[in-house]
Amino acid sequence: MTVKTFSRGVFLPHYKEFSENKSITAIPLPKEVVIPLHQHTGAPCRAVVKPGDEVKAGQRIGESDAFVTAFIHASVDGKVKAVEPRPYFTGTNVESVVIEVDAKQGETAWQERDVSKLNIDQIKDAIKNAGIVGMGGAAFPTHVKLSPPTAIDAFIVNACECEPFLTCDHRMMVEMTDALIAGARLIQKVVSAPRVIFGVETNKPDAIQALNAKIAGETGFQVVPLDVKYPQGSEKQLIKAVCDREVPPGKLPFDVGVVVQNVATCIAVYDACRYDKPLIERVLTVTGDAAARPQNILARIGTPISHIIEHCGGFKGEAGKVIMGGPMTGWAQTRLDIPIVKGTSGILLFSQAMVAETQHMACVRCGKCVDHCPMFLYPNYIGTYAETGRFDLAAEWGAMVCFECGVCVYVCPSNRPIVQFVREAKRQIAAARAAKN
Amino acid sequence: MADQKLSLTLSSSPHLRSSDTVANAMQDVLLALCPVTIVSIIFFKLHAVFLILVCLAAAALTELIFRKAMNKPSSLHDGSALVTGLLVALCFGPATAWWTAALCTFIAVGVAKELMGGLGWNRFNPALFGRVSVIMLIPIFTYLSSIFVRLRPALGAIDMVTQATPLALLKQGAGLPSLANLFVAFPGGALGETSALALILGGAYLLYKQHITWEIPGAMIIAVFVVALLFGQNPLYHVLSGGVLIGAFFMATDWVTSPITPQGKLIFGAAIGVLLVIFRVGLGPTEGTAFSILIMNAFVPYIDRMTKRPKFGEVAVGQSAVTAGQPVSKTS
Repeated sequence: MTVKTFSRGVFLPHYKEFSENKSITAIPLPKEVVIPLHQHTGAPCRAVVKPGDEVKAGQRIGESDAFVTAFIHASVDGKVKAVEPRPYFTGTNVESVVIEVDAKQGETAWQERDVSKLNIDQIKDAIKNAGIVGMGGAAFPTHVKLSPPTAIDAFIVNACECEPFLTCDHRMMVEMTDALIAGARLIQKVVSAPRVIFGVETNKPDAIQALNAKIAGETGFQVVPLDVKYPQGSEKQLIKAVCDREVPPGKLPFDVGVVVQNVATCIAVYDACRYDKPLIERVLTVTGDAAARPQNILARIGTPISHIIEHCGGFKGEAGKVIMGGPMTGWAQTRLDIPIVKGTSGILLFSQAMVAETQHMACVRCGKCVDHCPMFLYPNYIGTYAETGRFDLAAEWGAMVCFECGVCVYVCPSNRPIVQFVREAKRQIAAARAAKN
Repeated sequence: MADQKLSLTLSSSPHLRSSDTVANAMQDVLLALCPVTIVSIIFFKLHAVFLILVCLAAAALTELIFRKAMNKPSSLHDGSALVTGLLVALCFGPATAWWTAALCTFIAVGVAKELMGGLGWNRFNPALFGRVSVIMLIPIFTYLSSIFVRLRPALGAIDMVTQATPLALLKQGAGLPSLANLFVAFPGGALGETSALALILGGAYLLYKQHITWEIPGAMIIAVFVVALLFGQNPLYHVLSGGVLIGAFFMATDWVTSPITPQGKLIFGAAIGVLLVIFRVGLGPTEGTAFSILIMNAFVPYIDRMTKRPKFGEVAVGQSAVTAGQPVSKTS
C-alpha cells in the first residue's frame, strides 16, 4: 500500500479512540431550535417566515437572490417564535429564525427518485434547493463549487478527517458507504470528472476497506491512502498529496483541474437528489477528555449545544473549554446556548488539564514554524510584524496566504498565538487596501 | 445544565500544543554543555568551578535586576540567562579574574540581551558580545583589576603547564600536541576548548533533540577546513583547537541570532568559517570565532531576506492533463 502525503505539516496525537468505534445515533429533538440565516460563505439569507408561522421540517425559511449563498430550511416541525439576532459560534450575533419545536412531529415522507435519471442541471438544482454547503467546516455553498469555469479531470472526496478527535466522517464512511459513493457519482457527473479519488488517512483502515469493497468494478474510482499528518484535509495539501499539483496562492482547486468535496457533503448531495431532502440535519462528533459519553450523533441544524452536551451525559469532571469544530481550527465557546450549524463537525469538551497555556514569549527564531508551515510561509515574521503593527511587512512574509491551520502555534516553543496575529493582520491589510481604492 | 457553573476558557485556535518549550530547549543546551564543563573542571579544578559559579550567579542576578528595573516579569525559569552565563565562563581561560568574568556576564545578559528587549529581540549572541567586550573595554578592566586585585581568592596555582593555545603554538612553530590528544582532551586556551570530543558529544545531543540542525556547524567546520588548507596550514588543528567546535555547535547555532532557512544557515555557517580562518591567520590566534560569529549575526536579517523561499504553489507544479485548468469550450 503506497501512502501519499504533502510536504511539511505536523504529526499530531490522534485522540480518535474516544469515539471512533461509536455508531451514529440520532438524538431527541430539543424544545427550541435557533437557525442562523447566515451560516455559509457568501450572501446572508433573508427570512421568508415571520413569528407565529407554522413551519414543517424541510420548509424553506431563508433565501437570497445572490449566486454565492445557501438557502436555509426549518429543521423541525414547529412554530416560529422570533426572527432576531442570536449569538453565533464565532462570537458575533447573527439574524436567526427561532422555532419552538412541536411535541408531535409529522412523518416527513421524502419522495424517492431514481438519481440515475437526473441530468446535470437537475442535480445542481437539487443541491442548490437543499441549501448544501461544504460540511467540513468551511461552509462554502456546494452548487457554486460545482460550477467550475474550467475542465475538471479529477474529483477528490476529502475523506481525511485530519483534525484530531473528530470521527464523524470516519463513521459515515463505514456506515453510509453506499450513499457516499452514490453522492460522489452524482458530483462526478456534474463536473464531468473522469476520475473520482477518495483520499483517506491510514488511521481509518475500516473505512478504506469499506470503500475499496464497494468501488470494485466502478471505472475511474480509486481510494488513495494518505499519511496521518495535519493538515492533510486542507484542500491544497490534499490535491498536492493525491494529484501532485499545487494550487497557486489566490487560486482555487479548479484552476488545476480539480474539485474537492468532503464526505458529509457527498452524502448530503445524495440525500438531496434521491429524496429531495434539504440539509436539515448532520452527523457530528461529541468528544473530548471531559465528555462523559463521547459519541457520534445525528442532530438537527439549530440544536443548541447545551441540549447535545446534556444528551451525551454532560461533563466528566471540571470543564475547561468547549470547542465547536476540531481542536486545531475550532472555536472556543463561553456560552452553551449556541446552535450547531451546517458546518459544525464536532463539539469538544476539554478538561482544565487540556486547556493550553495562554501566556506567550517573544519569538526566539527557532524556525520550527517555518519548518512545518504547509504553505511554506514565515509564521515567525508574520507573527512578530503583526504583533508590532507592521502589517505591510506581515503581508510581505505571507499573511494573506495563510489559511490558519494552526501548525505554527502547535509547534511554537514560545507559545505565540500566531493564528490570532494573522487574523488581525488580514483585517488590517484588507482595511488598508479598501481605504486605498 | 443551566445551573452548572462553568468557567470556560476563551482563546484563539489551535487548542492543542506540542510539549516543546523554550525552557526545555535551554535545559537541553545546559545538558549538552555538561561534558566539556566536566572536562574543564577535571583540568582546572577549583579555578574552573569558581569561574563558572561566578558567571552563572552574575547572569541570574543581572537578569533579575534588569527585568525588575524595566518592570517585566521574571524570566529566570526559561533558563536562557544560565545558558549565557555558562557560555561566557566557557569562553574564558582558567586564570581569568572573577571580576572580569562577572562584568562580561553582566554585559552579556544585561546589555546584549535585556536592553535589546529580552530573549528574542537581541541581534548579537549575548555570550560572545559579553566575551569580546573584555577587549573593547580594556581600560576599564585594567582599572577594575587595580581595585579588585586584593579580592582574588587563593585557589592555588593552575597545575597545568601548558597555557599557550595550540593555535599560538602553531604560529610559533613550537611543539604541538598530537591530534589524538587535541581530540580527546587538551588543556589549552579557554574552559570550553578543552575537549573536542566533549563538544561533539554535546553537539550530537542537540542535533538528536532537533534543537539545532546540521547546516550551520557543518558548513562552518567544512569552511574552516578548506580555507585552512588554502592557507597551507594543517586543517585538523584549525578545526579541533580554539573556539571552532564550541562556536559551531553552541554559539553560531543560537536560535535568535542565526538565519531561519537551511540555505541561509549554510551561507551563515560557511561565512563564519571563512572569516574565522582569515582572522586567525591575519590577526592572531585569539577571538577569531567570537568576532566572525558576531559579524555574521549582523547579516542575519539580510540572509533571511536573500534566501526567502517561494510560497506553496508559487512555483508551478504538476499541471497535468491538457484539459486540466483550461476554460471549458462552449461545446461541452
